[in-house]
Amino acid sequence: MRRALEEIRIEHLTKSFDGFVAVNDVSLTIKPGELYSFLGPSGCGKTTLLRMIAGFETPLTGRILLGNQDITQLPPYKRQVNTIFQNYSLFPHMTVYENVAFALRIRKLPNPEIDARVREMLQLVKMEDQAAKYPNTISGGQKQRVAIARALINKPKVLLLDEPLAALDLKLRQHMLIELMNIHDAVGITFIYVTHDQSEAMSISDRVAVMNQGNIIQSGPPDDIYERPASIFSAYFIGDTNLIPAEVTSIEEDYVDLKCQAGGQDSFEIDSTFNIKPEVGQKLTVSLRPEKIAVSRTKPTELDDINVIKGVIEDILYLGTHTQYIVKVGNLKFRVFDQHKRVYFDEAALDWEEPVWLFWHDTDSWLIDEVTPAGLDVGEINVFERPIQMSRGGKRIPRSE
Amino acid sequence: MNNSRHRNTFSQLEIRQVKKRNLQSWFLSMPSLIWLTAFFAVPYLIVIIYSLLVSDIYEVKFLFTLGAYREILSGAYFKPFFLSFRLALITTLFCIILGYPVAYLIARSSEKWKNILLVLIIIPFWTNFIIRIFSWRIFLSTNGMLNEALLSMGLINQPLEIIRTDWAVIIVMVYVYLPYMILPLYSVIEKLDFTLLDAAMDLGASERKAFFKVTLPLSREGIFAGSILVFIPALGAYIIPQLMGNQNSLYIGQIITYKIKNIPRNWPVASALSLIMLIIIAVILLTGFSIYQKRKFRRMDEAR
Ligand SMILES: Nc1ncnc2c1ncn2[C@@H]1O[C@H](COP(=O)(O)OP(=O)(O)O)[C@@H](O)[C@H]1O
Ligand SMILES: [Mg+2]
Repeated sequence: MRRALEEIRIEHLTKSFDGFVAVNDVSLTIKPGELYSFLGPSGCGKTTLLRMIAGFETPLTGRILLGNQDITQLPPYKRQVNTIFQNYSLFPHMTVYENVAFALRIRKLPNPEIDARVREMLQLVKMEDQAAKYPNTISGGQKQRVAIARALINKPKVLLLDEPLAALDLKLRQHMLIELMNIHDAVGITFIYVTHDQSEAMSISDRVAVMNQGNIIQSGPPDDIYERPASIFSAYFIGDTNLIPAEVTSIEEDYVDLKCQAGGQDSFEIDSTFNIKPEVGQKLTVSLRPEKIAVSRTKPTELDDINVIKGVIEDILYLGTHTQYIVKVGNLKFRVFDQHKRVYFDEAALDWEEPVWLFWHDTDSWLIDEVTPAGLDVGEINVFERPIQMSRGGKRIPRSE
Repeated sequence: MNNSRHRNTFSQLEIRQVKKRNLQSWFLSMPSLIWLTAFFAVPYLIVIIYSLLVSDIYEVKFLFTLGAYREILSGAYFKPFFLSFRLALITTLFCIILGYPVAYLIARSSEKWKNILLVLIIIPFWTNFIIRIFSWRIFLSTNGMLNEALLSMGLINQPLEIIRTDWAVIIVMVYVYLPYMILPLYSVIEKLDFTLLDAAMDLGASERKAFFKVTLPLSREGIFAGSILVFIPALGAYIIPQLMGNQNSLYIGQIITYKIKNIPRNWPVASALSLIMLIIIAVILLTGFSIYQKRKFRRMDEAR
């Protein structure tokens, strides 16, 4: 069922509702056959952008091109684009079979052909034995499969998925995510995937566009965005990170010296390789991922290219795969992930309020040319004193006496 | 099924409590039982008895016979039955055709407009039924407002003869029964998930096709309920045909009334006609419901 693939070009797309700009001058190109994600917090305009591609909303300005065809003004039923809706929107008065057959019935194809294609689709999503059931009698995961089969039967050039897994529980979500990737491989068409869940976007996408307040903040492969965030928002939204306000004190050939404010009179010096062109005296923000920092009660001996700072453990959170330490350095709180390997450090477990050394390689920090986080409400998310997230589930290690 | 497992574990106390509860429920349902007996069972019993008697000039003779039924089944009243069914059917159809767009519009308006429009639908009920029909007589009469307006606009040369035709009856019937169609339709359409229309259009259906494939089938329950509310009273309509129609096409409601009003009175035939009407309506309702239920159960069975 592979067909000639075409790229999607979105040019300067803007949409507003009663003066409220939901999508602001968005331009991007999605390559043929790509699995592309729009990732951003709730209300950032992902659905609106998707609905414009599907044809349910008309943009205020801008164009959408599918291959060489300008589809901006085409009604939804004339676009070779199909959608999986946020709540599946299966027709409750039709069986699973008829739901899947719907698009072909509309086109008035002969019955034997409809039957063959419906069976093929149901097989693809492993729902052959549920064909006669009605949507209100099948589970959420099964509805999801039917929605996929229904959307794919018309052989669209692009499949749009609006938070397709949001309504499923965690285990099923992980399972369906893999299934979706398999289906993407099987049909080979372009998928545009909308989600607010960064881990979902990271694991499934070829490329991700990070959105906030109607704007695309950054786009690229997930590892690129994770390792090289272009803004505080990207760094914050994708994965966990430590954001340190810093000032450039001197520039060497392949690294810069930075002075980091730790509140009040406290400050410490670190080195970092640079990804932006810094100037002496420039203020910027350093992003340092928690898993790149090592924590130990003994000071490391090998100090070449390693930053070492001293702090005090304030909180310990056991998370199964790793332990999260909150380490206070001056007024700054560092989040540090320590994997449970006893190969490197032959020492007893770290304890509350214990003075420790934090150290990391100076290629592991990342410079962001922003001082205040654009698009982030600083009051709401205090970048430098963020609450400990329990989202991954975990058990706080009790304070030992 | 679950209960049977526990049945023999009931203690004496529990059995006594159950008995007490049964007594209570009997006691509580007394008012409705009395109501049903007094206002439904007894009157119909009287009607049944009267239908089996022999007519006298003013009253009845207490001789039991099937004469009334024989007279009706001989086909003497075929025409009024036919006219009444035709009227009820046409009224229902027009109510669906006119009521559906209105119900749809109300269901899709904003909260504020919904309430205003619903009140507008209900307002006619505040005016006396007879007065509203007489207004229509004035409006539709040969020298009435409608004809004058059409004449002055030059659309017609001669006044239209609407009053005292079957059309006049249909117009007023539709007018009176329209709200009974709109309200159940509205309540069903209002609950409809309109993203289903997006889904249909996404899958290639034009607006029109999406309507016929999704919206209309999903409002079937409303159409069914509205049709019952319109069809059944329309079948027995008396006042509207009497005030708007003519004496050449008499409807069953009028025939029944004449049988009682005109001397010599014929109580048995009037009663028998009413009962036959009742049986026909019951049959229609029961088939309607059973088709509906069967569809629902089939849906559930297939799901297993
Ligand atoms: N039809 C609409 N009318 C008015 N505002 C809307 C409409 N659709 C979306 N919005 C607004 O646009 C913003 C973006 O919405 P949406 O695209 O649904 O966000 P997301 O899918 O990223 O959560 C929200 O603030 C929402 O309130
Ligand atoms: Mg959304």
